[in-house]
Amino acid sequence: MELTKPKKRFDLKRTGVIALVIYIVFLIGPIAGLDFPAIYTAIKANPLQLVQFLIIGISNGAIVAIIALGYTMVYGIIELINFAHGDVYMIGVFTSLTVLSLTGTLESKNPGTIVLGLILALVIAIVVCAVLNATIERLAYRRLRNAPRLAPLISAIGMSFIIENIGLMWAAQAWLVPSFGTTGGASQKSFPDMLGVLFTSLGWNVNLLASSGIALRLTIKDVLVIVLASVLMIGLRLFVQRTQLGKAMRATAQNRDAAKMLGIDIDWVITATFLIGGGLAGAAGLMAGLYNNTAWWFMGFRAGLQAFTAAVLGGIGNIAGAMLGGFLIGLLASFSDGYLNARWTNAWVFATLVLILLFRPTGLLGEQTGQKA
Amino acid sequence: MQYIKPGITFGIIGGFLTFLFGGWSVAVLGSFMGLSLGLSLAGRFERKDPLKIALAVLPSAVVSAIILLIFSLIQNTVIVEALGKRPAPASVATNANVLAFIGVVLLTTLVASLRGLPEKQERNAKLILLALLIIAFPFVDKATELRWTAQIIFALIFVILGLGLNIVVGYAGLLDLGYAAFFAIGAYTTGILSSPVHGIEMNFWLVIWIAAGMAAVWGLLLGAPTLPLRGDYLAIVTLGFGEIVPVLFRNLIDVTIKEPFTCWILPLFRIQTACITLVEHEDLTFGEKGISPIGRPSLPFIGEFESSNPITWYFLIIGIILLSIFLINRMRESRLGRAWMAIREDELAASQMGIDPVRTKLLAFAMGATFSGFAGAFYAAYIRGIFPSVFEFSTSIIILSCVILGGLGNINGVIVGGLALMTADRLFLPALKDFLAALLNNTVLPSISDPVMQLAVKDNSNPILYRFLLFGLTLVIMMAVRPEGLIPNEQRRMELHAEEEVPLEELEIAQPKSSGTKK
Repeated sequence: MELTKPKKRFDLKRTGVIALVIYIVFLIGPIAGLDFPAIYTAIKANPLQLVQFLIIGISNGAIVAIIALGYTMVYGIIELINFAHGDVYMIGVFTSLTVLSLTGTLESKNPGTIVLGLILALVIAIVVCAVLNATIERLAYRRLRNAPRLAPLISAIGMSFIIENIGLMWAAQAWLVPSFGTTGGASQKSFPDMLGVLFTSLGWNVNLLASSGIALRLTIKDVLVIVLASVLMIGLRLFVQRTQLGKAMRATAQNRDAAKMLGIDIDWVITATFLIGGGLAGAAGLMAGLYNNTAWWFMGFRAGLQAFTAAVLGGIGNIAGAMLGGFLIGLLASFSDGYLNARWTNAWVFATLVLILLFRPTGLLGEQTGQKA
Repeated sequence: MQYIKPGITFGIIGGFLTFLFGGWSVAVLGSFMGLSLGLSLAGRFERKDPLKIALAVLPSAVVSAIILLIFSLIQNTVIVEALGKRPAPASVATNANVLAFIGVVLLTTLVASLRGLPEKQERNAKLILLALLIIAFPFVDKATELRWTAQIIFALIFVILGLGLNIVVGYAGLLDLGYAAFFAIGAYTTGILSSPVHGIEMNFWLVIWIAAGMAAVWGLLLGAPTLPLRGDYLAIVTLGFGEIVPVLFRNLIDVTIKEPFTCWILPLFRIQTACITLVEHEDLTFGEKGISPIGRPSLPFIGEFESSNPITWYFLIIGIILLSIFLINRMRESRLGRAWMAIREDELAASQMGIDPVRTKLLAFAMGATFSGFAGAFYAAYIRGIFPSVFEFSTSIIILSCVILGGLGNINGVIVGGLALMTADRLFLPALKDFLAALLNNTVLPSISDPVMQLAVKDNSNPILYRFLLFGLTLVIMMAVRPEGLIPNEQRRMELHAEEEVPLEELEIAQPKSSGTKK
């Protein structure tokens, strides 16, 4: 006996709802820049521009992906949205800028000095951010590990505010970094284009496609950011898959109590996770500073939310997912800047975040239950 | 003698505040100090003879009054000189100090001795005292020229917002990180409906209800999609909405809506029609410039409310707060309020008991948003202009800090938390800034010879720049030390400290010592 009803070929209600949604998107989408005819015209007029936005999107996405790794690793282990992570990245930008300034690299024109200064800045930014992130965990999260879920989240938001203020104070210290100027800590500061200076002094053309005759800009900076990001991600993946500490991390993420019973030092594993995440944020800070040439106390908040969106998009807790999500969010932001309307880009990113959480909380690559209450 | 210690603490706190404000502030601060000292001491007594209690707290009151006076005298001589200001006239100083002394001693003993009355009378007496204080405050403030009322009104706006957020977070247990969005919706509704720039000038007394209704509708609309989510995912989605709404208000400056069928779809099939344009180049929110001016409320006999006279505004917002407290209290006692708390404790169990979680949660969002609509309407009319930067994420977090400081789920706690945090932000920090600036200019800076160092010290001595530190520290410290807030809701407190009641032996078994296993 056939108990199940025959499936309807044509569900009028469902189709109607979808048609209505599409109609509304067409009706009010143009307000937020989602104007399909205009986008079509723009792409048709200059198809190469699409490739240009692709390049910008992937480069920015690489930085977002590295920050997203920090979110995803911490969430994977203690199921906490480390709200302060974006601000740790901001501290990374300021640390590297300060190191470059103190070592005199900013004024230097000598390629050797610049390379040395950049390497030193990278190392110090990584160390400072790693220690800062682990300190945050020690101060604000550890004692709340068994508290109700929302308590550490609220603590994390408070920590984020505190670190933003540290950035604000830092940006006012003109005696430390003369290029901050006397405009106070609240304004955006410029991060000198050291890579540009380096390549010019070496006699290289920054644009790799300059001689090919194609009207595109693919700079050494783009390549460098993408390569460095890929190296970091592959390294992290290998670390988590192959090393003993990586194995301990995965075990802790799966079941903290069981891991503890097997003799894994949970506190150390969590601290190590925060150290690695912070170190990645520090590296991302230097890269973003060199790539986008700004330092601002508030940059961590927006970057953090973009990175968190990326982590959720890829499936939070999943390292490969965070990378994929990072690139996708970078592309979304770059296309929104280019074809929709730059002023609405943030709204589009947040709308993506809301839509993913509502319709696919496990993300693109997430296999675990995404929604843990 | 055991009551002396709180007296000394309160005296020192009040004393430092008089350092900052100077002038008549010692009398006003002294009264508040006496009140709070009396309240804090009263809790330590059994119900007995009021006179005995009064005598018992008298030494403490006198000690704190003397400490306050010593600080006041130092302020009037040493500090004033260091700041390079003129000292207050001798008559003012004497009067203020005498009033402060009387205020501290009288109020402390009076409030503490109320404890000796039967419970109902004590409650009534406290309410009368509180009402007198609330009514007298703006007039005293005006007479003493402290100009605190205008800032207190801001604190009271955040008290209303805190009360609304408390419904969502405290009662229903849904962490909303985008609550400022509803504040923005209330304010912009008021702005659009009562500003001459749009040509619709509706009466404030009507607009405030429309704003509250509008906020409630948006509470439903933004709450509906979040229903399947829990915990931190819910928090992040509300944060997303809270970020989208200011972007919306910032960018609705050139709105053109074309009907898609006639404008694009039919032309694709080579059918020529007239393109129907619904709205063309409409500037709704004026972007960063904001909407200004905005209509103000007016009443018979009083006339239109003026910004030069904060007293009318003060009583208006006190009225709104009283109405809010009344409504929220009725709601909490109702079936709906108990359903919220049941959902907060255990959603699954609650739905098994016949509570509809969808309806309950949606109503929590809508009711919570309503009060931010009131606050938004008042804010827009009071400031007489609204700007998108006011409604950012940080505002949501400020409101959350107020609620968390006072105590989630407790109306008194939220009021105390909001007042404490916002007066610290609005009164204390600016006073501290002026104090530090005057001190630096007159005594510290001339003694520093190195110009670089001089500039560095000067640049780093503006505490207002770092006001968010106040809120960040509040959240972190409260979560670590006292997650239930200053004045906790009893149920909530027990929930948060549930683990501490586990006997120690059980914990020992659960945690094998790592050093032991290695050997």
